[in-house]
Amino acid sequence: MIHFQDVSKHYDNHTALRKITFYIEKGEMVFVTGPSGSGKSTLLKLIYMAEKPDEGEITVAEWEINKLKDSAIPLLRRNIGVVFQEFRLLDNRNIFENIALTLRIRGFDEREIKARVFESLKMVNLRHKADNFPSALSGGEQQRVAIARAIVSEPRILLADEPTGNVDPDTSAGIIRTFKDINAKGTTILIATHNREMFRETGRRVMKLDFGNFTGEEPG
Amino acid sequence: MSLSYSFKLATRSLLHEKWINLLSILTIAAGLLITALTIFSVYNIDIATQKLPDKFSVMLYLKDNISRQDVDHIIDTARRDSVVEKVKYIPKDEAMKELKTVLKNTEYVLDGLGENPLPDTIEIKLKSETITPDIVKRFSARLKETKGINEIEYGEKFLSSIYSLRVGVKAIGIIFIIIMSAGMLFVCYSTVKILFYRKHEEIETYKLLGATKTFIRGPFIIEGAVIGFFGGMLSLAGMLSLYYLFILRISATFPLFKTIHFPVEIAFTLPLAGLLLGISGAVIAIGRIRY
Repeated sequence: MIHFQDVSKHYDNHTALRKITFYIEKGEMVFVTGPSGSGKSTLLKLIYMAEKPDEGEITVAEWEINKLKDSAIPLLRRNIGVVFQEFRLLDNRNIFENIALTLRIRGFDEREIKARVFESLKMVNLRHKADNFPSALSGGEQQRVAIARAIVSEPRILLADEPTGNVDPDTSAGIIRTFKDINAKGTTILIATHNREMFRETGRRVMKLDFGNFTGEEPG
Repeated sequence: MSLSYSFKLATRSLLHEKWINLLSILTIAAGLLITALTIFSVYNIDIATQKLPDKFSVMLYLKDNISRQDVDHIIDTARRDSVVEKVKYIPKDEAMKELKTVLKNTEYVLDGLGENPLPDTIEIKLKSETITPDIVKRFSARLKETKGINEIEYGEKFLSSIYSLRVGVKAIGIIFIIIMSAGMLFVCYSTVKILFYRKHEEIETYKLLGATKTFIRGPFIIEGAVIGFFGGMLSLAGMLSLYYLFILRISATFPLFKTIHFPVEIAFTLPLAGLLLGISGAVIAIGRIRY
């Protein structure tokens, strides 16, 4: 489903990723871990094309990222749900509208939007917060809203960048359960985290990054 | 994406940024009103100057003792010319009779003249579309060679002045309209550009969630269109008020202004012009969207 072949990404003053090669099967749930600045977020951004690789080749589902035209990028992104590290919730919309936006972009009708938004909010235990605005929510709640928005369209691939960064251990365990449930339905999941507690005892594959280099892999 | 959602976003933004939008609407309304008044003035000056050719004629003063055969030849030559509408021969006796009619009670000034001093004359009316200084000058030059003509008169300087006035007023009008249109386009452009910058982060999120360029552009274009359209409607209201409150009253009071004509079709294109300016300004302001 996701294939990186000798992928490098350089910024002005440093190299974020150096000759990275890996393959994630369809339906897998994989963790990528490493300290801050190890290149985890860059790796995810390359998948949803917020960044472009300087070297190497990336294939996501049937799309060859290097050859993808600008006009095809929305189509790729509609197949990927992303839990952004900084959440990216819109302050001027309530929680319902923030999640519904994903579906409106995809052209869903109002009835379907309502059903799906409430279903995804139920999955993250925030059904009662639908009318609130993001500013009225705690960091952990905002994170769960971001997860609900990422899963609401039932994407083929789910990417999560530090999805438990702002939550307590109990909520963190709940989020992992949510991801497992989604994965059980066939969604391929890649989670970037520096929190070892998150993938311990999950039995899932873990890829290790350090300063842009692959330093090893723990099989699931 | 449903169009209704774009309208919803545009409405929300229009209400949220109401002051900047209201200011833009008023600026566009003022700009369109000034443009409309310019068109109105140019249009009326053009009509007024177009009516002058009705009274315009080329006068051929013939030599004394010219034979009837030569007169017929001149009339024939004139009639064959493509610019000529009507040719009228006025013998000197008839000219004197007309002069006496004009002088009425002061006919005595002609006493003591003895012999009729007026020449035989041919009056030529030209087709209205051919009455330009150049064409009339060339026509006059062609006739000058004809035997029996003493003098040709057509008010060369007057014709040139009228023609220059028409051309000048039109040119100034067009330049003014272009400048005003560019100004109004810039107002729409700036308004949408400011809104676009303010929503930069929101637009980035849209892109990351898979929004197409149409989805992103839609609300901004609708917003530009609404601003332009309301600017146009307001200028139409202003134009109609000016017409009914002032121009109509002035033309009723002063006979000089009786010929003022209000081109209704120009007035009703104002909302359309505003709409187009608004959409164009928005499209230019958004520019190319890159992922």
